[in-house]
Parts: sequence; C-alpha cells; structure tokens
Amino acid sequence: MFLKKTMGRREFFTASSISIAAAAAAAAGSSFEVPSLVGSAAAATPEPIGDPIHIGFLAALSGPDAGWGLPGLTGNQIFIDRVNAEGGLLVGGERRPLKMFAFDDEATGSKALQGAKQLVLENDVRFISAIGGNPADATHPFLSKKKVIYASLISTDIMPDRPYLIAGGDVTPRIDMLRPFYHRFVNPDLKRWAVISQDDTIGLTSQAWEVGSALADGWDVVYDVNYAIETTDFAPVVTALLATKPDVVSLNLSYPTFVVQIVEQLYLQGFKGLISANYLDTESILQKVPVEYLEGAVDSFPLFDDPWWGSPSWQHDFITEWMARYGPGAPEDVHREITGIDWDHVITLKVWAEGVTLAGTVDPDAVLETLRAQESIPSILGPSTMAGKEMWGIDNMVSPPIPINEVRGGVKRVQAVVRFEGWFAARKEKIIKVVEEKGQMHYQR
Amino acid sequence: MDLPTLIQTIANSVVAGSVYAIIAVGLAMAFGVMKMANFAHGEFFMAGAYVVYVFYALLGWPFPAAVLMAIPIVGAMGVATERFIFRPTRDNVMAGFMATAGLAFILQVLVGQTWGVGLMRSVPTPYMGAMDIFGAKIGWQRVLVLPSAVVMLSALWFFLYRVKAGKALRACAQDPETARLQGIRIGRMTMLAMAISGASAGLAGALMAPIHPVTPYMGHGVILTAFIIVVMGGMESIAGAVLAAVLLGFVHTFVTTLFDAVTAQMVGVAIMALVLIVRPQGLLGRVKA
Repeated sequence: MFLKKTMGRREFFTASSISIAAAAAAAAGSSFEVPSLVGSAAAATPEPIGDPIHIGFLAALSGPDAGWGLPGLTGNQIFIDRVNAEGGLLVGGERRPLKMFAFDDEATGSKALQGAKQLVLENDVRFISAIGGNPADATHPFLSKKKVIYASLISTDIMPDRPYLIAGGDVTPRIDMLRPFYHRFVNPDLKRWAVISQDDTIGLTSQAWEVGSALADGWDVVYDVNYAIETTDFAPVVTALLATKPDVVSLNLSYPTFVVQIVEQLYLQGFKGLISANYLDTESILQKVPVEYLEGAVDSFPLFDDPWWGSPSWQHDFITEWMARYGPGAPEDVHREITGIDWDHVITLKVWAEGVTLAGTVDPDAVLETLRAQESIPSILGPSTMAGKEMWGIDNMVSPPIPINEVRGGVKRVQAVVRFEGWFAARKEKIIKVVEEKGQMHYQR
Repeated sequence: MDLPTLIQTIANSVVAGSVYAIIAVGLAMAFGVMKMANFAHGEFFMAGAYVVYVFYALLGWPFPAAVLMAIPIVGAMGVATERFIFRPTRDNVMAGFMATAGLAFILQVLVGQTWGVGLMRSVPTPYMGAMDIFGAKIGWQRVLVLPSAVVMLSALWFFLYRVKAGKALRACAQDPETARLQGIRIGRMTMLAMAISGASAGLAGALMAPIHPVTPYMGHGVILTAFIIVVMGGMESIAGAVLAAVLLGFVHTFVTTLFDAVTAQMVGVAIMALVLIVRPQGLLGRVKA
C-alpha cells in the first residue's frame, strides 16, 4: 500500500547537511538531557525564599476549544510543583515559588481580555500560558501596555507590534514547512503534493508556509485548498482532493477532529499514498481505519514514552509523574489519555523560567533580551533559540528542534529531530515569495 | 469533473440526503402538529450520538443495540420537552422557541459536564471498509444510513397513513380545532409527535456517531440545515422535507466538491429563498384556506 522508502532514517541523519538536534546523542537514538538552571543541580545550595511569582493560564477550559487548553493545566502544574519542590525558581540569588492562576477564556476575545485584566490586575501574574488566536488579538494591546509576557501556542500570533507575545512551543508552522522536505528526502521519487486545512487564520497562514516550502523543495503542489471550518462532511472534500491524484496528502494544521474524518475518508475512498499532518491523534484515527493503513504516516507531536528519548529522561519522567497524578485511579484522575497538549504549554513556560533565572529578574524586557542573547536555551524538546524575525518581524519565536514521527504498528515513533534554522536559511527567499503571493506575511495580515 | 469523481460525488450526495432526511423529518412533524419550532432538535441529534458513545464505545454493547437504545431514550426526551416546555407555552410561539433554545444550551452543558468537553469523543467504526459502486467507494457505516432512512421513513409513512393514532396525528396537523371536535386529545397527539421527533433525531445521531465528531456542540451544525430543509419542503410537510433533504444533499455535496462548504451553505439558503419566492408554501406545502 505504501510507497517504498529509498533511504533509511539513519542514512537520512548521516546524509543530511542539516544540523540535527542533540547531534550525536539523537542520531544514536540515546537520550539527550534537558538541562535546566531551575533543576536540582541549581538547587544544591539553599537560597533564601522570596515572594511567589504568579503564572497565568488563560485559555479555553470549556467549550469546543477546551481540548487545546484544559490539558495544559496538568503539565504546567507538574512543572511548577517540580520547581517548588526544589525550593522555587532561582531569581537574582533567591528562590521564589511559582503559583498558577487559571482563567477560562472560552476561546473568545472578550472573555480573554477580561481574563487578562483579572490575571494581571488582581493576581499580578508575570507570564501567561495561552492557546492564542483570537484571544491573542484581543489581549495584546493590554498586555503590551502592562508588559506581561503572553505565550501563545501558535507562532502565527507573533507580530512586531506585540513585543511581549512569544510563541513556538508548538512547532506550527515549522513542522509543516519541514514535512515536505522530510518526505522528499525519504521518498525522492514522489512528485505530487496535496495540502488542505481549515480556513481560519492559523490554517491559512500555516498552509501558505507549507506550500512555499513544498515548492522550494521541488514538489508539484497539485491541490492547495482551505476547506471551510464549518465543514462536517468531508466525503466531498476528499473526493475533490483525490481527483488531483496526489502522492502525498498533507493535512497541514487541520484540527484533530477534522484529521480523523479526513483520514477515514482517504481510507474509504481508496487513497494509497502517504499521509502527512501536523498532528495525528492515532488513538482516535485507529478507531476508524485499520492499523496497517496508517503505517508510515508522518506527524510532529512525539509521544513522551518513545524510546527515542532514552531512559531515564525528562520525557519519560513526565509520563510517569503524569500517570501517577492524573492517570486512571490517580488522586487527580482526569478520565482521559495523556495528550500532546499536556506538555505543549510547558515548552514555553520552561524557556521563560530559564530566561528569568539567567536574567536574574522577572522584568519582561530583561528576560526577552537575555533569551535572545543565548545561543542555546534548554527546553523539553532540546536546545532552543529565539528566532523568527524573517517570518514574523521579531525574534519572539521559541525554536526547539523539530521531531518528525512516523506511525509504526499504530504507534508514533520519532524518526528524526531536525533543526529548523539551517534548513530555512537555504530556502527563505523562495518560501517568503510564495507566502507573500498568498497574502499571509505578517505585514499583509 | 471526471467520471469517477462524478460517480463518487453522486454517491456522496445520496448518503448526505438520507442523513438530512432522517434529521429533518422529526422537526417537520413536530412543527406540523404543534406549530412550534424545536430549537433543541440538534441537541436531540447530539443526545442520540452520546447514547451510542456510552453504550457502544464505553460499555461495549453491540452497535445495533446501542442504536436501538437511542430511540426510546431520545424519544423520552422529546416527550419531556413537550410536557414541560411546549405545553405550558402553547399559546406563545416565541416563548416556546426561546425555551427550547435554552434547552439546547442546557443539554450542551449537561453533556459537557458529564462526559467532558474539548476534543471529540472517539466512537469506533463498527463496520470498517467500503462498498464499491461503479467505482465509487462508500464506507459501510454510511451505506447503513441509506436503508435505515428508507426503513424509518416507510415505518413513519405506514404509521401516519395506516394506523389510527397516525391518522389522528395528521388530523391535528391539518386542523387542530376540527380534530379536537372529533374527540382527538390534542395533548396526547403533541406528545406523540414530539416522541417521534425525538426518536428520529436520536436515531440519526446514533447512526452518525461513528462518522460525525461526537461533541456536546455537534447539534449546532445540524439545526441550520434541518430548518432550511423544513422551510424549503413546506413547514408541515413530511414528504416535502424528504424531497428537500435529497435536493439539499445533492446541492451541498456537489458545491462542496467543486467549491467549499460555506459556499454550499450559501447556495442552500439561496435555493430556499428562491423556492419561497416561487412557492411561498414550500415545495410540497399547502396554501392555507
């Protein structure tokens, strides 16, 4: 059913001229450390305890978008409790405990602004974890004025006039740009690339970057359509897509709910090529299609129980701790499986915490300046940098290495971890030209 | 559009029309008898899907048994709606409409609080694989909707035209006052209409649970389409609703294939407007004397 691969993963690593995250350790499949200035090593010497630092969580905790927000509370709380167990976050020579305040913005701008005001004015938060999108648009004037760092999941929220909005924990759209490269590298004989996602702001922007990247890497983009976000029946959408006879169908940033339905239709309507997506919820998809159909499908949200991380590792420890605390029968049982969102918000929170410790202050300007000055910032996905000026007009994108997974026997397994910056530098003119043609550069939106 | 795509699109249209018919017929019947619109009809559809989620996906019942369970459960919800909302507001159409709008939100929150919100509930596909019809491939789960719609609509037709209670129901729909003078108990008939309406929405939701994302908000997308169908078909006409459902199924599917779902929705509403200009009573509605 699937097209023959011409190059193994190990060959891919060794042949690639791109810098690979965690270099030799990753290539060998062994663990790579998630070093931390807020970790136990830094806590070896007891310091005085200072006032708590308040962290905000402003996201949909109810309603249709709650799946992107609610699980994030667990990961952030685990991170905060770990820091506090070590005495607190090291800031300017004293340890300060972290405390989280949450507000349900229901993914609406007006509620988000209300929540931002409450978190800042009443709870005195210095950092806000969020999903982004419309709430980011609504809150950024207030948060810019109050100089509070807002960490969106979505890099497309970054704008030059939003100096305190950072993003990038979620790998969108960098992974969507790298997937065409990965498929091209693994299957150089394939030519025809089809891509779809919903027609909301992040879908349009993310897809524009993917199309530019696919063209830059030599694909014929035979289908490039944003389906209506109101779509409930994907049979006609997939029928139109398959009429273009693609080798690879990319679902770009399609929401998990849509991905399940689209993959089911691809299966039912007889698509035999490769499936590629920003995120594959394999558990849900495999309720709809046979396990062998999904073999070789590519996405970018790794599982933290993946042997790739090695053992012991931060990722495996996180899974163990999450299960003991929130898993079936645990004291705070959340009655669901662990998802990528459980740790997604932690990526940026941890980077910010590193910045606070390095800067020795919670002052946002100093923290961001310090982070931008670092060649490498520890993150839970590997060494990160602050980048993004060419894409978003400001270096506010947290950029950890990008894991690329393939589904193996129904389970996602990391195949490569790719650093974005080197790849982008070699292609940026071509890509940005396409994104401009589609009107999706930050100065056009 | 090449031939294989055309065949696939026609097959998709037939399935979509069948789904629309099952959903809209109950709404048309309730309106015909009570002259009141049930804004919570979409949430009845959602409730049917959740019955399957609970009995089939969580408790492991066979899929057909879980689907059958949805019929009495959601039918009972229809009865309760009639008894506690429509009957007290019988003389105030707007109050009934607004009350069912409130009921829709209550049901959404209730389901969300009970089974969680966020990403979809995962309902495994009971019948994996696809049927090949002249090169068009339709999933078995979707194929199942077609005979289900035929059986349900045939049973409804038999009930309305061959069974005494069904004839009484039609009499209420045509002229409530005359029906009352004939000794028909209007309250009992409206309750029966809502039971059938709820049951049909529940059946549709149950059948669609493995296909449609199961969330507390899934009824939202359904209710607009159902209203368009009922208005286009002729507010009180079940046959008109079926005809409009098939028509809209083809329009939505072809326009979505050629353009997108928003354009399809716009074209659907435009056709409804056109029908109402040419035939204000709807496709098969009757002009009031």
